Amino acid sequence: MSGIDAVKKIVETEAQARRIVDEASAKAQQIISESREQAERIRQEAIARAQQQREEILREAKSKAEAEALQSDKETEQVLNSYRKLSEERKSAAVSKAVELILNA
Amino acid sequence: MSESLEKLQTRILSDAKHKAEETIKDAQAKSQQILEDAKQRAQRESEEIIAKANVEAESIRRSILSSKVRVNRLRILDEKNRIVQDIIHGVEDRLSSISKSEQFEETAQRFVTEAVKAVDSDHPVVRIGFRDVSKRNLDGISRVFPKGGKLVIDEKPIDDLGGVVATDPEGRVVFNNTFKSRLERLDNQLLTLISSTVFGG
Repeated sequence: MSGIDAVKKIVETEAQARRIVDEASAKAQQIISESREQAERIRQEAIARAQQQREEILREAKSKAEAEALQSDKETEQVLNSYRKLSEERKSAAVSKAVELILNA
Repeated sequence: MSESLEKLQTRILSDAKHKAEETIKDAQAKSQQILEDAKQRAQRESEEIIAKANVEAESIRRSILSSKVRVNRLRILDEKNRIVQDIIHGVEDRLSSISKSEQFEETAQRFVTEAVKAVDSDHPVVRIGFRDVSKRNLDGISRVFPKGGKLVIDEKPIDDLGGVVATDPEGRVVFNNTFKSRLERLDNQLLTLISSTVFGG
């Protein structure tokens, strides 16, 4: 083999080596790029799940509070009924006492 | 020569493959780290969203309940007010028809005496007016009325409900002793009395 042929062989081999390195580099870029995309998907999916959970938490809180509010309505209705009953029972006495106050104070 | 060239080629390719393997390995490690970081970040962000949602949920709950409690307190206050006003109307009815009661003469005399005393004049002018009351019903007044005074009997009840108004002759000092002004003067006591009688406490 002549010296020129040897140099040619070396040049070819180096080119082949460069290709191997370049291909690996491109593949590495692709691996990282894909993992970044997957990372973003993981994040988006997790946030979407959390948002769903948030909606559920808010819905439950509202529903629970509305149930408690209904209880407050019932209690208020009971208080109102007791006032109306007291008023019927004691109106006459209250009028008499008030008239006495106005007449004699 | 040929053998050493082959060795050199093999070495060049071997170095390149080694470098390529290292590059891929580094990329895989970096990829692993990216995914791990992403999972941790996603976990953190999710936890923040849930924590905020819990705070928001408590705020919604409080808002709904406090709004309801406020509305219901107002309903109770309205009802109490309605009951008290109903009783005050009853009191006004009773006062305006006092002329039919046995208390009337004594009450009218006392109102005149109080008014005359308040005006503190030798010649007081006293207007008196109750519903369904004529001069005949007011004979007793003359017993408590000062000699220098002037008594005016209105055919209609003064201030709607009836009562007595005294002034000095010049009209500078006026004492209003009508039921309406007594109701106004005793407003606080009246509300307390009605409230404690009906609702207790």
